[in-house]
Amino acid sequence: MVVKKINYIVKDRSFEKFAMMAFLGSTGSAMDIQSHFFCTFWGLRLLKKKYKPRARGMPFPMKGMGAWMFKKRLKKGGIDSLLDLIKDAVEEGNVKLYPCTTTMDLMKIKREDLLDFVEEPIGAAGFLELCSDADAIISL
Amino acid sequence: MVNKTFDFTGLKCPIPVLKTKKELKNLVSGQIIEVISDDVGAKKDIPALLSKIGDELIELKEVDKNLVFTIKKA
Repeated sequence: MVVKKINYIVKDRSFEKFAMMAFLGSTGSAMDIQSHFFCTFWGLRLLKKKYKPRARGMPFPMKGMGAWMFKKRLKKGGIDSLLDLIKDAVEEGNVKLYPCTTTMDLMKIKREDLLDFVEEPIGAAGFLELCSDADAIISL
Repeated sequence: MVNKTFDFTGLKCPIPVLKTKKELKNLVSGQIIEVISDDVGAKKDIPALLSKIGDELIELKEVDKNLVFTIKKA
C-alpha cells in the first residue's frame, strides 16, 4: 500500500507532542505524504502564537527546563526550531494544521490568537470528512 | 560518477532525510549524489525515503562509523 495521506488528532499541549508533529509532518512532507493535524482541546494550545510548550513526561516537574534541555540537544542534531520545521512543511503544501472550532469556543481562543499559517478552523464533521480518504488516522 | 557529496554527519533524525530530499530536488534525472550520515536511523530512513519518492539507492557502504549512500535521481 502506498501511503498518501495521514490524519492526526492532537489533543495534548506538551513539548513532546509538538516535536512529534514537527518530525512526522516534515518527514511526511519530504516523502510526499499529506499530513493533516486536527488540534483539539489542549492540543489547540500548540497552535497559539508565542506558546512555549513544556515537556510533560519528565520524572519530576522541571518548570520548563525539560523543554529547554531537549531544545539544546535538538540543536546539536541540526534542528534549530521545531516551529520553523513545521512552518516549512506547511509552506510546501503537504502539512495542514486545523484548529478545532469547539475548542476555540470552549477556551475562548480567537482566530487571531493562532499562528498565521494554520488553516480555517473546522469542526468534528469537517475533520471526519477529511478522514474519508485517509490511509491512517492517528491520535497523538 | 558522483556529481556531488553531502556530509550530514552530526545531524540526527529526521534532518538527514529532509536535507537529502532537498538536495535531490535540485538535481536533474540521472545525476548521482553521495550522502554521508552517522545517524543510525538513517540506515533505514534514507532507503524508505527513496522508495517512496522513486529515486534509486545504488549503494550503501559503511565506512568507519559512517553510512555512505550513493543515490541516483530518477
